[in-house]
Amino acid sequence: MRYVPREPRDGINVSKTHALVEAGTLVAGFSLIFVLIVLVLVFMVELALLFVSPEAEARVFENWQPGDLVAVDADDRRLAEVDALTQRLARHWPDSPYRFRVAINDSEKPNAMAFPGGLIIVTTGLLDRVQSENELAFVLGHEIGHFRNRDHLRMLGRGMLLTLSLSALGDGSGAGLGLTIADLTLRGFSRRQEADADEFGLTLVHAEYGHIAESTRFFERVADEFGGDHGYYEYVATHPSPEDRIDEIRELGRQRGWSESGPPVPLQW
Amino acid sequence: MSGGQTLNLFLNIGFPIALLVFAYLIGSLIERRHFANIRKRESELRGFPVTTFERLPERWQVSSAGLVSGSIVVSLDYFKRVIAGLRAIVGGRVKTYEPLLERARREALLRMTEDARRAGYDAVINVRLETSRLANAAGNGNSTAGVEMLAFGTAVKLERR
Ligand SMILES: [Zn+2]
Repeated sequence: MRYVPREPRDGINVSKTHALVEAGTLVAGFSLIFVLIVLVLVFMVELALLFVSPEAEARVFENWQPGDLVAVDADDRRLAEVDALTQRLARHWPDSPYRFRVAINDSEKPNAMAFPGGLIIVTTGLLDRVQSENELAFVLGHEIGHFRNRDHLRMLGRGMLLTLSLSALGDGSGAGLGLTIADLTLRGFSRRQEADADEFGLTLVHAEYGHIAESTRFFERVADEFGGDHGYYEYVATHPSPEDRIDEIRELGRQRGWSESGPPVPLQW
Repeated sequence: MSGGQTLNLFLNIGFPIALLVFAYLIGSLIERRHFANIRKRESELRGFPVTTFERLPERWQVSSAGLVSGSIVVSLDYFKRVIAGLRAIVGGRVKTYEPLLERARREALLRMTEDARRAGYDAVINVRLETSRLANAAGNGNSTAGVEMLAFGTAVKLERR
């Protein structure tokens, strides 16, 4: 037997596929799948909404305690006024199936959220920053708008289904890519929802005061306060950025011919 | 799109993508240079017998023998890790890992062979390769700091070949 020297050959153990081709194929394939998953989820939630009437929802969640969801500050003396303002605004939506309730969440970050059954939670950070009743009225009207369009159930349903479907992937790069794609896909849907809620909120404000003055003041102020940094600011995480909304709200007011000037109502606290 | 959303989008998507591009560029540069280096050293060692025989060929007259080994620890780059993570969902050849392990294998064999030649041996027989995974600092078994490739064998010095 003779030993024949031979150098190792390339390309036996290494695939010929270029790493970028492999990456592109996988990313494109998964993106497509995730977009489809999100669209199916959106469709399923819309389908489910057809079977749950607002009346049934209001009944089921009637006894939900806000304290079950977030830390609630029941002693805040501003609660009565926020609640009264909500009821006054809701009167302009006479066929509402909801009996609106308000709770104050003790949190520095300004935010307002809509929960099933007509529950609106506002944070102390929001109440600390609003300077007139009109500013607060538009924020509350926007949340009431979410109830009218049933967005609060949509958000909840999509969030739950998305979490469920992504949890199968663990927390690897697949889940990361999936979340990013889902987020980008849902952005288009939520933008439409927010604009619709703004429109309804503005309608309520105009019906209540006869003008829409100061409706955008709150957003102007937080845009100033948080500057370019509001990527981390919670109200923007769940709502469109203030700058975008201010322009859209003004434009809507102009189209409807609603007056932008009027005496602001001072807050009682 | 406003400043806030642009910033948000950049932090959530732009930063990981920038990291991926960076990892890919540096990682593939290192890989190309390593392969070039491996090929050069392999051609220098051409003619030095490295075999997996367990026993000496009968005609070989051995004057001395000893253990030689070569090992290398290699780590994945972020790009390979992310792409392999996607691949793991559907299965199949983990194509981004293959060149890495190929480099490790050939480098370990080279180091072993160079060790044998430096010590004055003429050949290495009974060569074995072993791989072990190094746990990361967290030690939770969820991720890997790298793999060690170990090549070892019996180096022999011949009286006459
Ligand atoms: Zn909203």
